[in-house]
Amino acid sequence: MDLVNRYLQAVKFWLPNKQKQDIIAELSEDIRSQIEDRETELGRKLNESEIAAILKQRGRPVLVANRFLPQEHLIGPVLFPIYIFVLKIVTAFYLVPWVLVWIGITVSRAAHSGQSLIGSIGSFWTSFWPMAFFMVGSVTTVFAILERVQAKSGFLEKWDPRKLPPVRDPNRIPRTNSVVEVVANLVFCIWLIGGMWYQTVLHFSGVTITLSPTWRYFFWGFLALAIANMVASELNLFRPYWTWVRAIIRLVSDCVGSVLFCWLMKANIVASISVANVAPEKTAQIAHAINWWSAKMFPVAAVACVIIALVDAYRIFRVRSRALHPAVVLNAATGAH
Amino acid sequence: MHDTVCLVHYMSHGTENDGLLENLRLELRRGCLVLAVLAELRTEQYGYTLRKGLADRGLAVDEGTLYPLLRRLESQGLLASEWREEDKRNKRFYKISRDGKLVLKQLLVEWQGIGLSLEEILKESDHGSR
Repeated sequence: MDLVNRYLQAVKFWLPNKQKQDIIAELSEDIRSQIEDRETELGRKLNESEIAAILKQRGRPVLVANRFLPQEHLIGPVLFPIYIFVLKIVTAFYLVPWVLVWIGITVSRAAHSGQSLIGSIGSFWTSFWPMAFFMVGSVTTVFAILERVQAKSGFLEKWDPRKLPPVRDPNRIPRTNSVVEVVANLVFCIWLIGGMWYQTVLHFSGVTITLSPTWRYFFWGFLALAIANMVASELNLFRPYWTWVRAIIRLVSDCVGSVLFCWLMKANIVASISVANVAPEKTAQIAHAINWWSAKMFPVAAVACVIIALVDAYRIFRVRSRALHPAVVLNAATGAH
Repeated sequence: MHDTVCLVHYMSHGTENDGLLENLRLELRRGCLVLAVLAELRTEQYGYTLRKGLADRGLAVDEGTLYPLLRRLESQGLLASEWREEDKRNKRFYKISRDGKLVLKQLLVEWQGIGLSLEEILKESDHGSR
């Protein structure tokens, strides 16, 4: 019976103080009854391995004890889906961009200063994990607190179906977005044509900025792109649903815009600056600093452009998959909406 | 009915589905267990004999499920228990309480209702599949 006592002691360790004696007494009685029954069946005493088999079949002591404990959770079933949703948002909008920017900076640094990849991975490891743990830990702590508050006040129980948001069609283009895009592109075109018309020297209250000759390419590129975008946005305004073709056009236009923008950052676009009463050496330094910082920000811009392209590509996929979805095909066939 | 037989036959052969079937079986039995325990305890018994009695009637239940359930039902006032000596050993005897009897009565009505509904649904399904 030494084995049984050891087993009971191990179970007892995990039980709540108040119920320890009571549960162990009952469990002990149950095990001894089972052993006695088996002994009566066999007509002899059980050996150690037979007793061990009975105890093993009952399960690990911690699991046996756990069944007597009240069901506890850090975040309950009501808040858990919201918790997972928030974690996904944190991952998508904070952790993933952080990693992408890091990759961009590392690649750029490796190209310019020749820093080793292993050194870069080491620095990533030491800075990413504490930050990720902090983010996930903070979200978990907030939800654990909310769970306690929710359990007491039941604030999530109070809801009204009439206050639910209207049914959202992901392929519908909000008219406000189209209006904003049309106005923004129009203002941009007016500014380009009015202020930057084929000139590379700009004057602002005593400051003269001379752009490099490559600006002309950017001027025409951005102007063409802005006009194309304006036309597309006007079309979206009157037919506010993404179609496969329009989604592809948006991807192409965003890719062209991204390439132009990234090129602009690396193009040393400011040739010179002159300011009244400021020494030319000083203004040359400013011009150099602008170009240097612009080039330094290239990885960030590249990552942003990749994200935009991915969003556009996902839109194409979404429009296509929705068009091929059995429910949509069925609705189209039956004329239902 | 033929479809149901095929489904059960198919599920009983897949290792992955064995686990699924076992989970569904446990889920189905969980609710019935309260009913069975309350009904069995109309006669006073201690844990081990109750477990054996249930197993003998085809409702085997492991001790890790039964004892926590007995405690829960007792804390809900549906069972009463007392420690008593029997065969020179201290045993905890359980018996259904007055409230427990009332709940059992209501649960039995519910159980019979579910049985009838299910029978009706299965009958309709059988007609539909022919």
